[in-house]
Amino acid sequence: MSDTVLEARELGFCYSESEEGIKNNSFKIRKGEVVLLTGDSGSGKTTLLKCLNGLIPSVTEGEITGQLLVGDKDLCEMKMFEKNRFMGSVFQNPRTQFFTENTTSELVFPMENYGMTKADMDKRIGELREEFGLDGLLDRNIHTLSSGERQKVALACALALGQKLLLFDEPSANLDYGSAMRLGRIIKGLKEKGITVIVADHRFYYLSGITDKVLLMNDGSVTCYESEEEFKNSGYDTRSFDLFSIKGFGISGKEERKSGENKRTTPRECVGKITDVSYKNIVSDVSFELYKGEVAALIGSNGVGKTTLARLMCGSIRPTKGKIKTSGMPFYIMQDPDYQLFGTSAENELMMVKKDADEVRTVLESLGLKDKRKAHPFDLSGGQKQRLQIGMAVLCDRDLIIFDEPTSGLDSKSMEKVATRINGLRNKSSVLVISHDYEFIRRVADRVIYLEEGRVKDDYELSEDTLDRLNGAFREMEMKQTCETA
Amino acid sequence: MKFLEVNPIVLVLINIVSPTMYIFTKASYLQFFLLGFAACLLILMGSFKRLFVLLGIYGVVYAIFETSTGLGVFNSWTSYLVVIIEFVPCLVLASLLISKYSSSQLLSALEGVHLPRTVVIAATITIKYIPAFRREFGYIKESMRLRGIPFTIRRPLRSFKFFIVPQLFRCASLTEEVTAAGLVKGINAPGRRSSYYSQRFRVSDALVLAVFAGGLAAGFVI
Repeated sequence: MSDTVLEARELGFCYSESEEGIKNNSFKIRKGEVVLLTGDSGSGKTTLLKCLNGLIPSVTEGEITGQLLVGDKDLCEMKMFEKNRFMGSVFQNPRTQFFTENTTSELVFPMENYGMTKADMDKRIGELREEFGLDGLLDRNIHTLSSGERQKVALACALALGQKLLLFDEPSANLDYGSAMRLGRIIKGLKEKGITVIVADHRFYYLSGITDKVLLMNDGSVTCYESEEEFKNSGYDTRSFDLFSIKGFGISGKEERKSGENKRTTPRECVGKITDVSYKNIVSDVSFELYKGEVAALIGSNGVGKTTLARLMCGSIRPTKGKIKTSGMPFYIMQDPDYQLFGTSAENELMMVKKDADEVRTVLESLGLKDKRKAHPFDLSGGQKQRLQIGMAVLCDRDLIIFDEPTSGLDSKSMEKVATRINGLRNKSSVLVISHDYEFIRRVADRVIYLEEGRVKDDYELSEDTLDRLNGAFREMEMKQTCETA
Repeated sequence: MKFLEVNPIVLVLINIVSPTMYIFTKASYLQFFLLGFAACLLILMGSFKRLFVLLGIYGVVYAIFETSTGLGVFNSWTSYLVVIIEFVPCLVLASLLISKYSSSQLLSALEGVHLPRTVVIAATITIKYIPAFRREFGYIKESMRLRGIPFTIRRPLRSFKFFIVPQLFRCASLTEEVTAAGLVKGINAPGRRSSYYSQRFRVSDALVLAVFAGGLAAGFVI
């Protein structure tokens, strides 16, 4: 068909260093379609996306089979710079997205690489500024931008050469609910302009109502659903199209909770007390207490001060006002495990937390890492590193454990496993979870602390009666982003 | 206030030539010339914070060195002080390359002297990796503190191991990430790359180089 922009025929890829890969994938993508590429971790999503954006075989070595056609040209035989002329890519992490540190430099970078004249570059910058609302964002340091602003710049860069096909790799992984919904509106706008968008993601609530096609990856092969409805009827867990339809609480999702059920009759042990704490203009007059035996979720938009509060509690930074009292140093699990692993093997990593070989072995076994105990932590996959971090939290003898976005980039099954393990920690410690993940919060949280503009706006026990307050907070985050965009 | 724009190539040249000149000229002259030259350049480029850093480090280290030698102390530590005194002006000028110029500007300037594209890309990524390295060092050091792993000079090898291993692994993944970011934006496109930022070799650049060369030449005469 003439409106087909991309067609895969029996597309396959086998990594040169392992037997993993994808096989026999055939599908067609038409002009102006929004295509969701989803599937569980390890199903081959990333491999297929790398085949599409050209990083396979340009960067990742292996054997590619089949065809990936654009018109009568085979993408597999084209050089990377030829593909980039009609295809833009937005990566998951801002750190991996940008080549320079300045917004204008980044915008003109692809144009310079293709030899555009200064006059043409100025003209194109003007067009992009209007199209993506970049007023006030030009000639700025990328590290000083908010996540929403960075996303705008990333999008504008990806379409700087006037590409008609845009690929997103897990764009929602680092976004709060409001920012993800705003991204959904941006994608809708691109679709209306005739730009074809392919989004690879585990979560897809922000694509509800605008998805034209779903490519579901399973064990390296794709199943193609021609509409959102067809996908919803496929039997795959598609709850994430409508977050607020989730029922129940707790790990099973079948727990019913009435107001006051969480309250203990015995006095609770306070392990963290924050009193009127302020830090620069990020956090203002924040007060709350954390108790042993509870899992509290700290929610709020990107940049509202959640991680700053965690760092204040850990003593990494000092409050400009107020007092923080914790029962010993909290155990803080950062979002990126790569900064937190120092051992020579998975076993040694846990031994550094607790010198008890038997207990370490038991924990490794319970986390499914028994076979990997001699592996270097950096040789583990992302999910395995995350499990190792949870193992550290299980073994530590701290009264307060803080997790920063523990489910970022995880599929639904992995999220449930993390929720189960965090749930088990409440027996020995107080757990504070910083999270944007609505489903995960419903699974683990006993209590919700909602931060808005650096202040505690709401603090309540999570139950059927307070569910509206949680849903309201998420909708407020969306409204805030809508107003900012407007 | 900024009085002078300098082509990054001028700074690259100065940084290549300055250290090697210590072999040929009197160090006692060269160190003062480089200090004066770097200070003037920083003033003209409006980089006053760096100027204070340069003068501060230089002044403190020079005072310690003079006091030590006045007391008759000559050992390996005083040799280190001499090395710092001689090279701190070069390091401060090199830091301008990292902070004052974007990757695009560096790429354009380096391509202007007709270096091969692979050399230009490698040099640009190396220069731009330094701030990333500093950021990552901060994260790892904080993480060590949170894990209760001390970063102490009493056990330097152990501390160094804990710090360097994650840094090396991060370095490997950063290389892959930066390569991917460059490739999807056509960094390997053949043909002449254009530049949004004019990096022509100006009269002012020639003047800066002439003053630098004159100063070095004076070292042979004095």
